[in-house]
Amino acid sequence: MAPPSSRAPWIGGVLLRRTTLRHWRTEPWQTALLVVILALGVAVYLSVRLANRAAVASFQNFTDTLTGQSDALIRAPAGDLPESVLPELRAALGARAVHLIPVVETTAALPRAPGEDGQRFGRETFRLVGLDLVALANLPRRPAGPLFLGGDAGFWARLRGGTQAYVSAGLAARDHLGSAGPLRLNVDDRVVALPVAGLIPADPDGARVPDNMIVLDLPALQDLLGKTGRLDRVEFLVEPGPGAAALRAELPGLLGALGRGRWVVGSPGSQRDAAETMTRAFRLNLTVLSLLALLVGLYLTLQALDGAVVRRRGEIAILRSLGVEEGAVRWAWRVEALVLGLAGGVLGVLLGWAGAQVAVRFVGQTVNALYYATTVHSAQLRPGEAAAAVALAMGASLVAGWLPANQAARTPPAQLLGRHAAPAGGQPLLRNYGLAAALVALGVALTWLPPVRLAGGGRFPLAGYAAAFLWIFGGGILCAAGLPAGAALARRWGRRSAEVRLALSHLRRPSGRQRLAVACLLCSVGMTAGMAILVRSFEATVRGWVARSFQADLYVSSDGAQGAASRNKLPPATWRALLTDPAVADGALLQVFPLELQGLPTMITGTELAELQAHSRLPWVDAPRDAAVFDPGRNAGLALASESFAARFRVGRGDPVTFVTPAGPRTVVLAGIFSDYGNERGSILVERSQLAGWFSDEAVNNVSLYVRPGVDPEALRRDLLRRWPGLAVYTNSRLSAEILRIFRQTFSITYALEVIGVVVAVAGLALTLASLLLDRRGELTTLRALGMTPRELARGTSIEGCALTTCAVAGGLAVSLGLGWLLIFVINKQSFGWTLGFSLPWGQLAVLAATVILTGTAVAHAVGRWGAFLPSDREE
Amino acid sequence: MPSLPAIPPATVLTVAGVGKSYGEQRVLSDVSFTLRAGERLALTGPSGGGKTTLLNCIGGVDQPDEGTIRLGEVELTRLSSDGLAAVRRRQIGTIFQFFHLLPTLSAYENIELPLQLLGVGEPERAARVGELVRRVGLTHRSAALPSQLSGGEQQRVAIARALVHRPALLLADEPTGNLDSANGAKILALLRELTDESGVALVLVTHSEEAATLCHRRLSVRDGRIAGGP
Repeated sequence: MAPPSSRAPWIGGVLLRRTTLRHWRTEPWQTALLVVILALGVAVYLSVRLANRAAVASFQNFTDTLTGQSDALIRAPAGDLPESVLPELRAALGARAVHLIPVVETTAALPRAPGEDGQRFGRETFRLVGLDLVALANLPRRPAGPLFLGGDAGFWARLRGGTQAYVSAGLAARDHLGSAGPLRLNVDDRVVALPVAGLIPADPDGARVPDNMIVLDLPALQDLLGKTGRLDRVEFLVEPGPGAAALRAELPGLLGALGRGRWVVGSPGSQRDAAETMTRAFRLNLTVLSLLALLVGLYLTLQALDGAVVRRRGEIAILRSLGVEEGAVRWAWRVEALVLGLAGGVLGVLLGWAGAQVAVRFVGQTVNALYYATTVHSAQLRPGEAAAAVALAMGASLVAGWLPANQAARTPPAQLLGRHAAPAGGQPLLRNYGLAAALVALGVALTWLPPVRLAGGGRFPLAGYAAAFLWIFGGGILCAAGLPAGAALARRWGRRSAEVRLALSHLRRPSGRQRLAVACLLCSVGMTAGMAILVRSFEATVRGWVARSFQADLYVSSDGAQGAASRNKLPPATWRALLTDPAVADGALLQVFPLELQGLPTMITGTELAELQAHSRLPWVDAPRDAAVFDPGRNAGLALASESFAARFRVGRGDPVTFVTPAGPRTVVLAGIFSDYGNERGSILVERSQLAGWFSDEAVNNVSLYVRPGVDPEALRRDLLRRWPGLAVYTNSRLSAEILRIFRQTFSITYALEVIGVVVAVAGLALTLASLLLDRRGELTTLRALGMTPRELARGTSIEGCALTTCAVAGGLAVSLGLGWLLIFVINKQSFGWTLGFSLPWGQLAVLAATVILTGTAVAHAVGRWGAFLPSDREE
Repeated sequence: MPSLPAIPPATVLTVAGVGKSYGEQRVLSDVSFTLRAGERLALTGPSGGGKTTLLNCIGGVDQPDEGTIRLGEVELTRLSSDGLAAVRRRQIGTIFQFFHLLPTLSAYENIELPLQLLGVGEPERAARVGELVRRVGLTHRSAALPSQLSGGEQQRVAIARALVHRPALLLADEPTGNLDSANGAKILALLRELTDESGVALVLVTHSEEAATLCHRRLSVRDGRIAGGP
């Protein structure tokens, strides 16, 4: 006879066919519920992952879709490149088979619709790409990439037709372009009408043309932007052939040596890499949150499989008494868990893909508002990601099924068959308060560790998240200690009511299931309340910052500036006209230029610092020691830095910062550090006249206007909009409201994830109670025999559920205080470098607590009613 | 076999033409008998004969398909689920073979539970439970959980719990079936003593000849029918 271990899979297979599959057939709804639970956890994780990837993938080098991926590119370290580099480059490259593709790029937005007041950000942003279409037409067809204009015979005629736009097929179909007249776009301070000349040809084998991509001939876009003779970048395309690989390898070095600091050389895909690193912290934070749903789903699966073990204990006991080995029972249960995981994973992939189509809009909105223009409307699923998600579900299911499988295998047949089986005991881990206290203490120690520095300047607070996990885990164990204590305190109520006494008696020695249910609910409530504390603290801080920083009556910018990536500015003629308007008493200008420092993207801003001091109360982290930085006569070489900048580049007050401008390298000394919540890339602030000189650019991003006494800002706003339809003019209150709206929008996906977590945890409570009632079926029969009505039995269960939920909510709120502190002062600080105040959302926490307790009690009552009608568990 | 009280007491239980099937299987057919206050009736017969099903129908935890069961003036077969629960709570006490004490309640609390369900005030509960705990000889063990009690002790608690609310009818399903003979004898003696004192009618399902001799009357149930008796 073969040893038991080798027989286990064989016998396990028999068990699967003869028992497990039959249970699935006889209990299809329970099986389906289990699969759906797993699927939900995977779906949340996958949808966030797909949405994240889609948002980043949309930030491709737009010319990739036209030329295939270029082999190299150069761009100025700050500002733009003169067109004169082209002959220099051509001469330097000599006879090498390399094509040069000069590019000008800008953004534009749809103009306001008639009747729209224009005080809301977020209209669709387009990317206008200027390319030398004639040169492109001469490109040889690349084997691996699409060919622009291939086979379009009418192109040459249209090219001679002046400033015209080529749009994607998607945009043309969506907006009925061509038949609906020219495409009207807001560029800088004006609305322009671009006749649509044709479609951007899409190669079926090449990259998809983004819907928001609009191509113009290079000189036409240069004219439109007033950038004649200037380029944003030059891309290089090596002609296919025998020496192409060697030439591609040689090209970066050659270009770098030729540039001598005048430009930086980028690698293929470097812009997409930059987008990835720019948003890495944001995406990692979202991913961690999405894993919460998977964690709770794992817990639910454990609960559900545990319940199945309880239901089938009699059967397992019989099998064991017939000689089936522990290993075979364990094997069968693990395989069952794996198969359920497979089904849940497949369903989760489908749900996740569908969810990603919704999530991508939330992620896209946030990325658009804070990082760069993204137009992604749908998320694609790769086979590898689908396989990984299914594997994740199977892994989670296997982990979740581990304990129930062991429990099933260890079912003592004699006891069960003799009806002496004690209710399922708890896991020793869940009773180890010493370990729990040690985990909490370890979490405290972890809060002292610095963040992990990511490539590209991002910071990921790994130790902070680990601390949060330890506090939640330790808190979950410790919280269950409150059950017996609470039951002892409430003992006198038990004397008044049999239902209360019964409920309390079950809590005096809480089972592993009860402890697990409390821990899971605590996890969800703690995370949700912790996030609520973070958001409220953040919002209160941002409100204060807005109130102190934004003191002007009106804020004017290009109406084309609808996102963080906007390149639309106000030309000098416009801002001068605004400042000299008779209704305007005073004004301040703001210029923003992207800057590269230590290879990382950041920003340099310029304003009239004296005006800033006069009108705003900057929230200081490190205030300047004297007023020199605010004195235009003395502030050359001085700058202020945002807190995020200081944290990211590890500089402080008094430190020098050197960066490259079109006018050459410049060094400024940081005179002070201020709080700023615009983005985590940070910025330095210098006197505007200096900055305009360095960049040879007088166009500004924003004008703040202070109106004369007696002037109605709203009336002036309407007047300005009438005179400049291409401007966006915000009153102070509307701008503040808009900032807060965008702020809340960035947390919308977070709220959705939290709600899913709480819903799943309450469902877990229902499963826990159902398992407990199945375990107590004999007790229920006894109570019915003693004369308890189904209503009374249900009330007893609801009291127990209420007590479990209340304990978990109390623990969750206590943990949330710690998590709130951690999120605000460690995780947020390390990820984004922002100092926030601590503010408690009392009302929100009360609503959360009441909702969870009431829902938990109602769910428990429903389960209790179900349990009250369970068939009798008596032997004939 | 003990004799009945001299003055014929009122009829407590009337079972008339009761029948019950589980699917195709007929488990009870035309079962009829009556039981007077203070009377003890043994239901005997082979396993699977329908004894426990009959007991369940009498106890209102199962419903017959045909016939009537009256407890005093109340016809159980016409009652709703809540009505049956109220009857069980007030009029019936049940003793199980496997005791079925609530594992999370102490012996005292288990005995007290029926009184709590009836809404009896705490002082009276304390007096009645205290008295019964003393009578079943568990004063020193009243704070113990069921898992800390022996089988005999657990059955004493179960008997006390079944009698504490002074029911009219006591149902006992193999009360000694899970005990050794010495403990079984003690339990039977206790049962006789307490039922004699309280005047409660008893329906006792048993395989034990010794237990059956405790009763005034015996009915044998075979294949779902009353097969006869002395």
